[in-house]
Amino acid sequence: MLNRRMMLERSAMGMGALALGTMFQSANASEANPLAVRKPHFAAKAKRVIHLFMNGGPSHVDTFDPKPSLEKYAGKALPVDNPKTERKTGAAFPSPFKFQKYGQSGIEVSELFAKTAQHVDDMCIIRSMHANVPNHEPSLLLMNCGEARLIRPSMGSWLTYGLGTENQNLPGFIAMCPGGYPIQESQNWQAGFLPGIYQGTYIDTNQTEVNKLIENIRNKNLSLVKQRQQLDLLQKLNSLHVNDRSSDPILESRIQSFELAYRMQMDAADAFDVSKESKHVLEMYGPGVQARQILIARRLLERGVRFVQVWHGAGQPWDSHDDIEINHRRLAKECDQAIWALLSDLKQRGMLDDTLVIWGGEFGRTPTVELPTPGANAGKINGRDHNHHGFSMWLAGGGVKGGTVVGNTDEFGFAAQENKVHVHDLHATMLQLLGFDHEKLTYRYAGRDFRLTDVHGRVVEDIIA
Amino acid sequence: MNSLLACQLTLLLLNADTASVDFFEAKIRPVFIEHCEKCHNSSKQQGGFRIDSKDNFFKGPDSGPIFNPTKPSESKLLKLLHYQSELKMPPKGKLPDQVINDISEWIIKGAQWPADLKKNPNSIASTNQDHWAFKPIKKPTPPKIAQNPIANNEIDLFIQAKLEQNKVSLSPQADKRTLIRRLYFVLIGLPPTPQEVESFLNDSDPQAYPKLVNRLLDSSHFGERWARHWLDLARYADNRGYIGVGVDRTYPYAYTFRDWVIQSFNNDLPYDKFLTYQIAADNPKSGAAKSDLAALGFFTVGRRFINNQNDIIDDRIDVLCRTTMGLTVTCARCHDHKYDPIPTKDYYSLYGVFASSQEPEDLPDLGLEGSGPEAQEFQLELAKLIKEKEKFETDNAEIKIKEPRKFSESIKPYDNRIKQLKSKHPGSPPKGMVLFDKPTPVEPVVFIRGNQGNRGPQVPRQFLEVVSGANRTPFKQGSGRLEAAHAIVSDKNTLTSRVWVNRVWAHVFGNPLVKTPSDFGVRSDPPSHPELLDFLASNLMEDHWSTKNLIRQMLLSSTFKQTSSPRSELQNNDPENSLLIRMNRRRLDFETMHDSMLAMAGTLEPGVGGRSVEMFTPPFSSKRALYAFIDRQNLPGVLRTFDFALPDTHSPQRFITSVPQQALYLLNSPFVQEQAAKFTLRFTNTDDYTEKVQAMYRVALQRSPTKEEVTSALEFVEASGPDGFKQLGQVLLASNAFQFID
Repeated sequence: MLNRRMMLERSAMGMGALALGTMFQSANASEANPLAVRKPHFAAKAKRVIHLFMNGGPSHVDTFDPKPSLEKYAGKALPVDNPKTERKTGAAFPSPFKFQKYGQSGIEVSELFAKTAQHVDDMCIIRSMHANVPNHEPSLLLMNCGEARLIRPSMGSWLTYGLGTENQNLPGFIAMCPGGYPIQESQNWQAGFLPGIYQGTYIDTNQTEVNKLIENIRNKNLSLVKQRQQLDLLQKLNSLHVNDRSSDPILESRIQSFELAYRMQMDAADAFDVSKESKHVLEMYGPGVQARQILIARRLLERGVRFVQVWHGAGQPWDSHDDIEINHRRLAKECDQAIWALLSDLKQRGMLDDTLVIWGGEFGRTPTVELPTPGANAGKINGRDHNHHGFSMWLAGGGVKGGTVVGNTDEFGFAAQENKVHVHDLHATMLQLLGFDHEKLTYRYAGRDFRLTDVHGRVVEDIIA
Repeated sequence: MNSLLACQLTLLLLNADTASVDFFEAKIRPVFIEHCEKCHNSSKQQGGFRIDSKDNFFKGPDSGPIFNPTKPSESKLLKLLHYQSELKMPPKGKLPDQVINDISEWIIKGAQWPADLKKNPNSIASTNQDHWAFKPIKKPTPPKIAQNPIANNEIDLFIQAKLEQNKVSLSPQADKRTLIRRLYFVLIGLPPTPQEVESFLNDSDPQAYPKLVNRLLDSSHFGERWARHWLDLARYADNRGYIGVGVDRTYPYAYTFRDWVIQSFNNDLPYDKFLTYQIAADNPKSGAAKSDLAALGFFTVGRRFINNQNDIIDDRIDVLCRTTMGLTVTCARCHDHKYDPIPTKDYYSLYGVFASSQEPEDLPDLGLEGSGPEAQEFQLELAKLIKEKEKFETDNAEIKIKEPRKFSESIKPYDNRIKQLKSKHPGSPPKGMVLFDKPTPVEPVVFIRGNQGNRGPQVPRQFLEVVSGANRTPFKQGSGRLEAAHAIVSDKNTLTSRVWVNRVWAHVFGNPLVKTPSDFGVRSDPPSHPELLDFLASNLMEDHWSTKNLIRQMLLSSTFKQTSSPRSELQNNDPENSLLIRMNRRRLDFETMHDSMLAMAGTLEPGVGGRSVEMFTPPFSSKRALYAFIDRQNLPGVLRTFDFALPDTHSPQRFITSVPQQALYLLNSPFVQEQAAKFTLRFTNTDDYTEKVQAMYRVALQRSPTKEEVTSALEFVEASGPDGFKQLGQVLLASNAFQFID
């Protein structure tokens, strides 16, 4: 018989498995599967991640970073030069939204996320996020893959590579976006040079039928019962074949994959069917596609999916260059209740402790008003430009220190000032919360040991409970 | 750490006075190690600074030296430590006064630092002497072996000799049925028909096997199978990747590169020419014909990184150096390569070569104008569009003169229609995705830490020192691409032939001799059979770089013809079978699986070459998977699921995973169901169920079913109703027997 190590290397994934095999302690006997559960570097609170991606760039001064000083200069130039962003901006533009204190921690949040803010004592709001450039494409890639242009695995891929996944009957990494792709498309959840199975499985949550959600999940011509009979024949022939060949593990693992596939058909259908939730839960999440996809996300997490990314919508919905008051109000209304419900629901189910919730966009927006640019905005002078110098994100659950604010931006909210947290630092901290030393979760490719944080990254201890 | 210090102490006694050395080792080095090295070491260099060796200390960070030898007391280091400059070191807190005083004293006395014990790891000459892949190739004499009842050629002698050292021997030869299936998949990527199997089995000529090898090497499908291996390396795709929303990303002529690779394998274009044309076919001195211009797609079919020139060039340097020589040169974009003797300067020398090359606005015709109805149809449509354009021009002659801008705007749709027709119509003349030299070559400078704004010294366009030696001369002909090609295919190059032999070996035997086929640098494991690798590499060069001969030599070995059943010997010592005690059993990759199913359906189109086609949505194409339009931005799920090569960067080897998504495809996908149905329809000429089952087995698995298999199949068909045979057909296509090559 062949030993386990051989089985891993030969049947799981050839050369790639070598790195896995030596780096991670295998947790069970199904090593032939590259998604088998693996232990991280050290014990950690967080076991899974949900990333609520407000793509387009939500304005921090209108959501989680109040800037009363803007009132003083309303309609006037700020006493400082506006830092360079994508387009020209003009006068100070105070937030049209009201802020108030929430929870015991008394952290101020705007009315846009009044419901989510009920959980502020479980949230750690990072007000000193910063990225590299004020453009969507590189910032999306930086946020997802830790590199703005070149081909690198996304964080969901890194995590499924590092941890495997708890439920072999579902994909380990799922990216949901209603109505089509965000900007930069499936590169946002790419596996890069890692094996393709670590890539995010994309799901258009505008669809409601399971066979439109996951490729090949249903056989249009055969019932499950009939298919079981067909599969029984296949497995009988396969076992005659393998018995003739001294039980070669590369043959065995393929036999096994058919059994997993058969079960996946039922489990996936079940996971995506929100109608199985009680009326109370459905009402808690509220109406609309955001509510449905966030609820699906909870069902997936519950079933052991490792990383779920929930995008607000195709393109760049939060990109309010004009009419920010109308647009941000509409966008927040679409998801605020569902995010509140998600946090409540995870808490009730005892899952918030080991689920890391991440909320944010690829950058924030300017505290100054965007000036008309022909062909680029509607010229209404009531929106904000992209701003990578400073913005807010929040984390909750999974080992995060709740009811805290980390860092700040300057007086007007233009740039991160104290305890600055770069996107690389966020990644390093996220990996730490999941049990990884971000400098040691590596993959050898093209002569280099690559990692999510490249040559950067600092674990932000203030975020960790 | 103690032993390291001890070593360094012994060395420095030889060349520095003891007191100052003691002071350094006692008071200074420990401080550097404790407080500075965390951010300034071999793997991390904040500000481009390393403090872990003498040379690096005196070199200083990117911003310049921190020690001033002429006025030590004014050294920048002291200001940093005293927190007197904007930058403060260490950033976490000022060092204790006593420590700062010690360092000040050491600095003012001239910063006595004993010579480093280790020789400079980047010393190119010293690495060349040490590392196997940089040593010259000398053709070894094949070893003598004790017994060789089955050894057939030199390959077997090398393999058997190693097995003998482990007191084992090659496995017995596989039967002819297994061998013909194995040969078909390795050489042409398709299964043999029952007739081809029968005629091989019945051929009692002792030369039957070599005859079959030759016949398959001569098949036009050989080039298709082996081209795909090359396209993995060349990160082939039919579009440029993300450049914005609503912009056409398609490379309408990428297919001409793919077809050129197919033809080159079919014609056994010598490998040195094969490389030279892909690097510099535009140079008349390369010896390339006009149709060979398509070869330059090697560089131009890559991703475009939203048109960032530096990233495009980086991708081209990477694909060139890893594909041909197994050198990871792009590690040197921001700093000297950490392991291999590739300094940043050499990276920018190559950068200059590509910065001196450009793609013309209008791609050149390849001189392969088509004939036949499609070409005629194209000419007619083209003439029609040109006429329409000319009419518009005549009608608007006045505007053309008076309002030239308005005119040029309004004529655009006409030009676009012509462009669209040329790029989409199957009868339009093929064009090459070429690179040409710029009229004036670019004189490159080093971008410090990869930052274009931070310009370092100028470097000449020239080849890598690790390959061409310290006495290399700068390139003189235009961009220098042809000279680079010559350096790559030179018989002095210790890498090119070894790298190619290793790749071919991996495709033939299922495992490479060197585990990292695209990294032959100092961190790579040595080959499992170094002499064999060098023997074959020498042969390749002596044999005018004939790839077909190289493959033939491997296929005629007894090593290739062994059975693949796992053996209990060596399973603990050699679990990966690198000693080749048996043949490796392999699973079909995506393309061979897809094409085999079309062959089973009886619909596979035999034509070679042509424009890329949509392959993953119904109605399904009957062309080989090689001809699929590859969308690198959103790679179809089925390709990802089946471990297809990532089309964004050079792929040295495919992963082999076994995951349920693959099984879902085989159970439920419309494509597989359609092929299973067509396959079953081929057996309607008999109503005898047993005969039918037997015929299906012979076609799908190239053998007759056993009694037990027949019984199982018949029971299933009886129980399953009218679709029973269709479902049985699908079972055969999905079975391990179909999906694996013994």
